[in-house]
Amino acid sequence: MAAAVASRLTAAICRQFQRVVTVSSHTQPQYATQALSKFHSCQPRQMYDSWWFRSSMNNRALHTSCVRKGLEEFFDLPENWGEQTVKSGAPWTAKQLRVKSNEDLHKLWYVLLKEKNMLLTSEQEAKRQRLPMPSPERLKKVERSMKRLDTVVKEREDALRLLQTGQEKGRPGEWRRNVFGKTFWYRFREHPIPWYLNSRYKRRRFFEPSHVAPYTRLSLEKYLRSKIRKEKRDKRNQKRFAAMFPKKTALA
Amino acid sequence: MRLTALLSMAAKAAFPHDYRYGTSRPWTIAAQRLNPPGKKRRKVFVEPIANEDWHVLRGDTVEILSGKDKGKQGKVAQVFRRRNWVILEGLNTHYRYIGRSGDYRGTYIASEAPLLLKDVTLIDPTDRKPTDIEWRYTEEGERVRVSVRTGRIIPKPVYQRKDGIIPQQWKDGPKDTSPEDTLQTTYTPSLKTLEEEVMEKMNIQEDRRPRKSYWY
Repeated sequence: MAAAVASRLTAAICRQFQRVVTVSSHTQPQYATQALSKFHSCQPRQMYDSWWFRSSMNNRALHTSCVRKGLEEFFDLPENWGEQTVKSGAPWTAKQLRVKSNEDLHKLWYVLLKEKNMLLTSEQEAKRQRLPMPSPERLKKVERSMKRLDTVVKEREDALRLLQTGQEKGRPGEWRRNVFGKTFWYRFREHPIPWYLNSRYKRRRFFEPSHVAPYTRLSLEKYLRSKIRKEKRDKRNQKRFAAMFPKKTALA
Repeated sequence: MRLTALLSMAAKAAFPHDYRYGTSRPWTIAAQRLNPPGKKRRKVFVEPIANEDWHVLRGDTVEILSGKDKGKQGKVAQVFRRRNWVILEGLNTHYRYIGRSGDYRGTYIASEAPLLLKDVTLIDPTDRKPTDIEWRYTEEGERVRVSVRTGRIIPKPVYQRKDGIIPQQWKDGPKDTSPEDTLQTTYTPSLKTLEEEVMEKMNIQEDRRPRKSYWY
């Protein structure tokens, strides 16, 4: 039964892969010629000649690296097709990533991204076929590795920024009061025009109107009361727990 | 950033503050039957033990101090930190039927009941007698459990991983990085950001100047 299920998944994936490969191989030249003809029809001017379109400096390759694999990168290695479990190693730890150079981290990020895409494709296909995904823990491992890589890169950026500028936060911001009287950390956004020319920004109110002041006072009182209540509760519970769980050694 | 924070919040399981943790995992049907969404159960008081003070690990041999199997030694199979529970293999058992359907009464099996941390002690491996434990530091700076009575160090127990992998017998797959490559240091600290370094290595020349933008 497991073999039948496994063979179904293999057959499904193989079929999918073949279909994808055949579709891509015969639509590619069509697309290229269509683009060229469209380009010619909408550009009657003589200075945009065909040699301009086809010359190397105006045609940037999609990849900047040497490896040029096709859509098979979205799928696992062929020997893993149809397996119920795929062996995978431990995720990268932050300690291991901190000793790697920036270039290595950059390359690793894209390797992990491609692996994640492959696993997500496999997950979606398994959902479509209503079968369990082989080894879903691989996805968690890849996500954790990527998160840790991001943490390491952020640490390095923070260190450099602190050293060179003394700024703790990468994105500027400040404490502001909103219309409801609440003080919050407002994170700045990037705009092409200064604030005095931005009519939508000028309509935003970063102050509390005078009739809101009593409510601010009341909410402050509420917060202070809850803080005092929590402290009293903790003290009371400490006494209770000391009575409930007396400190004694396990053995006589 | 806000969207990812929201998604991660949704992914993490959220429990009410008075949720009663049991021996079954929270997503199982048995746990859902014990803690249906609207029900408020009687509060169970758990002694607050800090993470550093917890001394019983999975795989340790411990002795039971009180209960039905008092005086017996057993291996720890599971630890529940939320309730300060410890489950030993084959000890403190009660019997029940499992997998009953229709007329068939099911299999009669022995199921272990959890023991509180204060009812078990670790065993000194040399003389196999129960002792009190303290956390102390060795000369190298390693934090170890030391038995108060004899002063001997109790080593960390070796326990099989849940996925069945034995680290010493692991063979790397085609997509795994070898240990030597993983531990190799390639980082040289410099005053360049990651973007600048990568652009240098890939010979990307960015001559465009960023347009003046306003931050507010």
